[in-house]
Amino acid sequence: MIAPIVPQSWYLPSKPHKFCPGCGHGIVLKALGEAIDELKIQDQAIFGCDIGCSLLSWDFFACDSTQTHHGRTTPVMVGIKRSRPELITIGYMGDGGGYSIGSQHLLNAAVRNEKVTLILVNNTNYGMTGGQMAPTTLPGQKTETSPYGRDPEVTGYPMMGPEFLAAVTADSAYIARGTVSKYKQLKKYIRSALKNQMEGKGFSFVEVLSTCPTNWRTNACQTWNFLEDEMEKQFPVGELKNPLGKGDK
Amino acid sequence: MLRIIGEPKKSFVTGNETAAWACLAAGADMMFGYPITPQNEIMHYWTRLAPKYRRGFLQTEDELSAGFTVCGSVQSGKKAFTATAGPGNVLMQEPFGMAEAMRLPLLAIIQQRGGPSSGTVVYSQQEVTLTTFGGNGEGMRIVYSTATHQEIYDYIIKGFNTAWKYRFPVFILGDGYQAKMREPLEMYDPEDKGIEMIKPFPLIGLEGHIGAGREPQHLCNIYSLEEELYEVVMKVAAEYESIKDIIVEYDEKNCDDADIIVVSHGVVSRAADDAVKILRAQGIKAGYFRPITLRPYPHKQLRAAIAKSGAKKLLIAESAYGQLDKLTKQEIFGETVKIENLFMPGVGIIDYDIINKVKSVL
Amino acid sequence: MESYIHWEVFSFSQKITNRIVEAYIGEYASGKSEMAINRALELKNQGRQVTLVDLDTVEPFYTLRILKKDLEQMGIDVISFAREDAFGLGETGAMLNPRARWALMHEGDIILDIGYGVQGAKTLNLVEGAYESPDLLIVAVINGTRPMTDSLEKTKEYLIDLGRVDAVVLNTHLGDKSTPEIIIEGNNVIQVAARELGIPIAYLAIDENLRDAVPAAENDIPTKYIKRYMPGAIW
Repeated sequence: MIAPIVPQSWYLPSKPHKFCPGCGHGIVLKALGEAIDELKIQDQAIFGCDIGCSLLSWDFFACDSTQTHHGRTTPVMVGIKRSRPELITIGYMGDGGGYSIGSQHLLNAAVRNEKVTLILVNNTNYGMTGGQMAPTTLPGQKTETSPYGRDPEVTGYPMMGPEFLAAVTADSAYIARGTVSKYKQLKKYIRSALKNQMEGKGFSFVEVLSTCPTNWRTNACQTWNFLEDEMEKQFPVGELKNPLGKGDK
Repeated sequence: MLRIIGEPKKSFVTGNETAAWACLAAGADMMFGYPITPQNEIMHYWTRLAPKYRRGFLQTEDELSAGFTVCGSVQSGKKAFTATAGPGNVLMQEPFGMAEAMRLPLLAIIQQRGGPSSGTVVYSQQEVTLTTFGGNGEGMRIVYSTATHQEIYDYIIKGFNTAWKYRFPVFILGDGYQAKMREPLEMYDPEDKGIEMIKPFPLIGLEGHIGAGREPQHLCNIYSLEEELYEVVMKVAAEYESIKDIIVEYDEKNCDDADIIVVSHGVVSRAADDAVKILRAQGIKAGYFRPITLRPYPHKQLRAAIAKSGAKKLLIAESAYGQLDKLTKQEIFGETVKIENLFMPGVGIIDYDIINKVKSVL
Repeated sequence: MESYIHWEVFSFSQKITNRIVEAYIGEYASGKSEMAINRALELKNQGRQVTLVDLDTVEPFYTLRILKKDLEQMGIDVISFAREDAFGLGETGAMLNPRARWALMHEGDIILDIGYGVQGAKTLNLVEGAYESPDLLIVAVINGTRPMTDSLEKTKEYLIDLGRVDAVVLNTHLGDKSTPEIIIEGNNVIQVAARELGIPIAYLAIDENLRDAVPAAENDIPTKYIKRYMPGAIW
């Protein structure tokens, strides 16, 4: 049997991983793994994960890692970075952990320009607990706690995280939104988010539009359509802030 | 009140659903909550049923918010409730503290899961200390520890009345197994059992014009002077003491003459009940004592059971590392009976676990 | 599809040779997993090759995961993570074994246990080629004592909400407190609902302990006596 080529920073004993078939997490973690390899930071990297599907990544990397509490990955990474600035802290969370219970920490870390790198995977629902509504659930989208479809009159419109963070951060912050449907671009954004921390510039954040066919109950075609058509319409992909300049390849 | 169930009927349900239906039948107006296993189905069912009965719901950004939104709702005069577990219960201690301080009749359903921290999503009895004495207060709360779906239903209906009559926060302490188990249940509208639901009343947003008929309401939970606080705490404590005998509930069997009494609560008491029956059939004089209210704890009744039974030992059995044990010991301070323990934190206890332990200590 | 074809497929008396693909859907705690297990064992006992697929994406409890080893020892291939695979993973909720996606690639019969959820039968989208399979039968399991399906109107509304349903299993019971009256009355209501919506009845499911107490079904509806395995899936 031929083993697939995987990043060196991936931890082989925990493979194959347990993410659902069709889940976008695998793609994000591959881009992150390749970025860690290319930037040669495997020894300095600290990987923190949240509760929810991101929890399945706790032993994903051959890097020092810690699982935290739901929504508390950001402050734990801040604590580590403030104590040991030479470490490269990478916080990994979902839309619930980042924009819901973790939103106050995200906001404050952003305002303080904490030199951490946060990757937030947005799949418009709380996947691990069975598909409840999330801050990024689209209007009209059915979830277990919006069984008749999300009504923006009652629960507001989807959270625009990178836009919100771009508005409150200093110029030295890096803010971007990528998608698992554009891998090269996603990896570029993750590399920039890591470099921004490595160069000591500031707060670095990448939201990634991702798929959850299990809770969306979609087949492959429907999954991709939802990601590329519906989600990208609501959540524009691109770099909102890049202090590293356009020259970074 | 609008009837929800109609004729009392028997249904096959899970514990979480039971909680949602009971809150509906009890006339709850609002639920605020946040996803956490194993209580999510309470929200799933409430969100499906609420619109049909014009009740409200909001999934908040976290448990802190869920607890505080319930406090606000209750202050405005609506019957509000929430449900949570584990780390969510930890977070909610802040708003529960405010409810204790400001005498807010909130109701919370706690489905215990493994602890500490994220523990397991499955089951435990490790939130006893937290639910009875959590927060930075003196435990001025009422806690019902249920063991069957019928009790979840009955005690939620009773719980809303207890909360609104005496103005202490009320907790229905279940666990992940009760949340998910399937059992028959008789659902009913309270009036079919002669139960009158107490109408909620606002503490703010009162009727009438300020200055011309009514005063503005100023509520607080902070005081300037130590003496002020002393007065407040002592007054609340006195009120709590005065209702203890009315609220307290327990169950005991075979305690007229026993060598050892098995003390347990919640779902473990079902195993204890079976264990005691089997032990008796084998000629071993075991007794069964189950506190139903953990706050206030039926200590007088336990002391009486120890006295009349002549028991030399108690066996405290719990799916935790000593939370019921600690609570019991503090409540029956002075008793000289020897106390044995069966601690199985986060793990279910079956009748044979208890039987074997009883035999090993007698 | 005309209803007489369904009777043939579900008939006890006939030995079926073409492939059987059945997806068990239904309300929370309606008995889907129990029906799926019993059906898989029934087919196994007829000498057929059977794969049982766990598509319960919401519950960490009461899923096939916990019974996987026991069922495999009985000769059924089970696609699901084992309970130990979830060890240390905390929120053991939505864990879908990737093999479930390709379940139809397996030879032999496929029995799918679809968990509950607001999307109803759409969960079958997760199984590659399920809707396109000519053998697929979507079977809704209904217990008439469950509050969401305990009246004619509610049962009809529920069936309509589910989406495509090819047949209904009558599974009214009240656990240990089941009585023949409760079972018969509940199932009668479900039958009326199904008839009004033009959905055939697959079979009547009765706990084998009640074999003598509850009469077998009439009108060519098969009766299956069910052994309860799921109580072992908790604790």
